[in-house]
Amino acid sequence: MSDAAASDPEGSAWMAIKKRWRSWLRAVHRDAGYLAVGLTVIYAVSGLAINHIADWDPNFVSYTRERTIAPIAAEVPDDVAIAEATKALGVGPPRSTYRAGDEIHLEFDDRKLVVYGDSGTVIEQGRSSRFFLRVANWLHYNRGKKAWTYVADIYALLLLYLAISGIFMIKGKKGFKWRGASMVALGAAVPLIYVVWSGGPSASNRAALEAARTEARPSAPAPAADEPIERMPVRIPPPVTPPAPAPP
Amino acid sequence: MRDTRTPDLDRYPELHSRWNRRTFIQGAAAGTALLALGGALYRLAGDDLTRAARAEARKDGRPRLPPGQRVIRQLRNMGGDEGPGDVKSFRLRVHGAVTTPFELDYAALLKLPQAEQSSDVHCVTGWSRLDALFKGVRVSTLAEKAGVKGDVRHVIFESHHGYTANVPFPEATAPNVMVSYRMDGKPFAIEHGAPVRAIVPDLYFWKSAKWLTGVRFVVRDEPGYWEVRGYHNHADPWAEERYG
Repeated sequence: MSDAAASDPEGSAWMAIKKRWRSWLRAVHRDAGYLAVGLTVIYAVSGLAINHIADWDPNFVSYTRERTIAPIAAEVPDDVAIAEATKALGVGPPRSTYRAGDEIHLEFDDRKLVVYGDSGTVIEQGRSSRFFLRVANWLHYNRGKKAWTYVADIYALLLLYLAISGIFMIKGKKGFKWRGASMVALGAAVPLIYVVWSGGPSASNRAALEAARTEARPSAPAPAADEPIERMPVRIPPPVTPPAPAPP
Repeated sequence: MRDTRTPDLDRYPELHSRWNRRTFIQGAAAGTALLALGGALYRLAGDDLTRAARAEARKDGRPRLPPGQRVIRQLRNMGGDEGPGDVKSFRLRVHGAVTTPFELDYAALLKLPQAEQSSDVHCVTGWSRLDALFKGVRVSTLAEKAGVKGDVRHVIFESHHGYTANVPFPEATAPNVMVSYRMDGKPFAIEHGAPVRAIVPDLYFWKSAKWLTGVRFVVRDEPGYWEVRGYHNHADPWAEERYG
């Protein structure tokens, strides 16, 4: 150890930090990245699935089938009607049954059958779960609340660390000063450009307000095709007299 | 003969990594562009229903399809915390600022005066389902039976797990607003609100609460589940009242 370092231990620690902080940052970034893999897969896959919820059901595969049996008259007692329906459909004993109006409901664990007694129409509805996606979506929506709120918070902090530490991991031409800065700017510009282009969250409300104003504005009814258009006389406004200058 | 567009990588091995990277980026960009183009073509090609609906007008003069909507053939499952979904445990409370609050089971609901109507419904996410045939009981029938007090201004649709949706009283008691148990001659599937859901066709579909448990008449407005989460308090699709 040099005399200078021995006489200034604080300075030596500072030198060590200065020399090695980037490698420590990379080491923590690497391990944080490993930790984040599982949750990132869950949130990303579920995000893709939920983002297109208007186009598909990300949780279940559902089906509806229709068939016909002989009509069951309203006067037939409930237990007889249910027995008749079950026999005609060739299904086992239902978990639960219910009869109201012309409807006979037969509930099973994974499906339900509704018999419309007056027509004999039978509607069968059921669904099966997309196991991984359903669990991932449940986690993504934080439907379970409780401890998952804290897990999600920690994961968000982890992502922040990964994003910010990523900026400083490499030095030189491919580091933040050169390539990194332009890539970070490009990435940050995407949401900014979108907000400016779309008008942001208030834009749709402003458009709606304008539409409502336009609708509320009274407009003259259009003349029928065979009616002559009455020409209004053009009125020329009187010349505007400039106001007298204020007295001094 | 060697492809002159490619550098001689055997002669210049230091170009290997750069060339591979460039090829990868070109391939990725081309793939993304193809996917985007394919997706756009797929959407445009299958949208005759939307074009036809845009050309139509409602009886009230408004276009049949509100702005920013596209027509689909079947209701989509937009999620939510499902109720039990069975008719046996179903109960509907009609309460609030009324003289005679009451509770109905499924059989009692079917014994009330029934209504059947064809309606278009519009989801805030951009899809519309046209000509859906709903059967059920009008909210105005429930209001009349409960004896709504004179100062009532809003109706709150209540569902399992605390979901609520608020609708101004005049709009909730319009002739096309109902609590419905059948669509297109079929019971609602569990994901669409079985056994009974609200139908408020002229507001965005989140107002049509699924897994209905109550209809509450109130004097003061109570913004519902989505309304307190940034969605519009009124939700008129023709004014694109999507977000508050």
